[in-house]
Amino acid sequence: MSNQTSTSPWKTLTALPENIWHSVFRNPLPISDLGRASTTFTNFFLHLHPVKVHRHSLRATYTWGLGLISFFLFFILAVSGVLLMFYYVPSTTQAYDRMLDLRGTVAFGIFLRNMHRWAAHGMVAAVFLHLCRVFLTGAYKPPREFNWVLGVILFLLTMFASFTGYLLPWDQLAFWAITVGTSIAGYAPVFGKEVRFLLLGDSTVGQEALLRFYVLHVAVLPIVMSLLVAIHFWRIRKDGGLSRPPEEDDFVSDATLRTSVEPASTPAATVGVQSAARAEAGDADSQPRRYGIQGLVKGPITKAGNVPDRSLFSWPNLFMAELVVFLVTVAGLLLVSVFFNAPLEEPVNIMHPPNPAKAPWYFLGLQEMVSYSAFWGGVGIPTLEVLLMLLLPYVDRKPGGEGKYFSRERLLANSLFITFAILNIGLIIIGTFFRGPNWEFVSPW
Amino acid sequence: MLKKPNTEEQPEPLTRRKVLAWLSGFGLCGSAIITVFSNFTFIKPRVTYGQPNRFSIGRPEDYPPGARIALEAKRICIVREGEKMAAISTTCTHLGCIVSSSETGFACPCHGSRYDQDGNVTGGPAPKHLPWYQLSLAPNGELEVDKDNEIEVGNYFKV
Repeated sequence: MSNQTSTSPWKTLTALPENIWHSVFRNPLPISDLGRASTTFTNFFLHLHPVKVHRHSLRATYTWGLGLISFFLFFILAVSGVLLMFYYVPSTTQAYDRMLDLRGTVAFGIFLRNMHRWAAHGMVAAVFLHLCRVFLTGAYKPPREFNWVLGVILFLLTMFASFTGYLLPWDQLAFWAITVGTSIAGYAPVFGKEVRFLLLGDSTVGQEALLRFYVLHVAVLPIVMSLLVAIHFWRIRKDGGLSRPPEEDDFVSDATLRTSVEPASTPAATVGVQSAARAEAGDADSQPRRYGIQGLVKGPITKAGNVPDRSLFSWPNLFMAELVVFLVTVAGLLLVSVFFNAPLEEPVNIMHPPNPAKAPWYFLGLQEMVSYSAFWGGVGIPTLEVLLMLLLPYVDRKPGGEGKYFSRERLLANSLFITFAILNIGLIIIGTFFRGPNWEFVSPW
Repeated sequence: MLKKPNTEEQPEPLTRRKVLAWLSGFGLCGSAIITVFSNFTFIKPRVTYGQPNRFSIGRPEDYPPGARIALEAKRICIVREGEKMAAISTTCTHLGCIVSSSETGFACPCHGSRYDQDGNVTGGPAPKHLPWYQLSLAPNGELEVDKDNEIEVGNYFKV
């Protein structure tokens, strides 16, 4: 123990376990607020979080834990993916046999493949729902514009990672989905043919394409995504935590000073709290003291004085919530992986495409549009949609409605977004259930 | 970069330090751009390992008049009408699926494009007709297809 000066070998030996423990974990389990703060602060994994977190950010019905679910699925995908790499060979002659081996000879092989496949589908869905949540609550408004852009890029990378993984089993589904998908890329103006050739390493899908997709899938994309996820998380902290409705005592900097500050609706609750507008008018003495964190952070502010504190300690409130989300995610994934096997079709036969040849479900909306016009459906409209999403926070800058679902102030933006979302989901449903051989309209019942 | 706050609205004088900073900036950016380009040059293959685009398909006698024989591995269909022969691509011009022969010509299973006997589009999203490839007779008497050489529809090769 640290306060003992004795250096007898026996004492050293008996104190060894405790000394090792304390060298790794610098704080005992916290029993005081100081302990809770320093536990969060001094632990490598916990220090990503703020010491205290606003009550609003902990409401399950606000975030639905969707960002966390996306991240946990990404983590599970990385772990299960590395395990699958021990058996997989990116070769046109071996890949499919290795899939069969996962089924037949590798312990837990089929289970890991199921987990990997369903987590991939789940991640696409979770990231999309997360995007919807952020839009509907207006959380892309300043100062969170750039984090929204990062999120859109991560959404696209998620789809691309899923797409590259799709080819690896080298079955009929894989081959034809990638043939169709890369042909769509070929329709892009100017660089389309070049991009397609770089992706495939050849003029058709073959060994070169399999190797390239493998490298993208297991190395390039996970590394790029990990980096962007780290920046995405970091920006949440630097942009002032999760979005929430503004409060009367919020610090308002010159840059984000609102034109009108609503008067306090309940004077009793805001005794001693002055609006930022009055502070601008020079009424500084009655102001509660406010401290910026290191003077570097724009939004969040440490308040002192007679200011209502609406935050809770991250330990245990936030960490318990995160643990619950993690456990629910893992439990759900395990259940699905026990009961449903990842599809594996016949080995590649380059002469006979399956009829109909369908892309993965999240690309079926794209494939449905492509059946009307290859350029507009596959390149034109998707590019416009992505550009709109990337530019959105720089176009829609009017403050108001942040942190609330379906806020009246955001009626137009939300209506437009919901229309686009329903259109895309509708196209996916048509492509999935209503298209039969030769892509002709069929009734699913 | 740290800069002194410019209290007066005057253009700062062009110092030696500034010129050097600009030059170094250009040098660094230029190197970065060259690096990106050389990496793209690296991953763009100079040699591909797939099938050759120019290949022999046997003697004309192997294709009796009236035959429509699909060489599936080569992704072409050999058509012979009397003394006229043609090699029509069976790769759908829409998104690269393999079209199959149907009663009226060719049909694509992926997005429902349909073509007539000559490969002209009769329905579906295909933007253009199926390409016809150059046929020629090699000195050894065998027919040769050159998939790098596209010719006009209806431009038959006389045997």
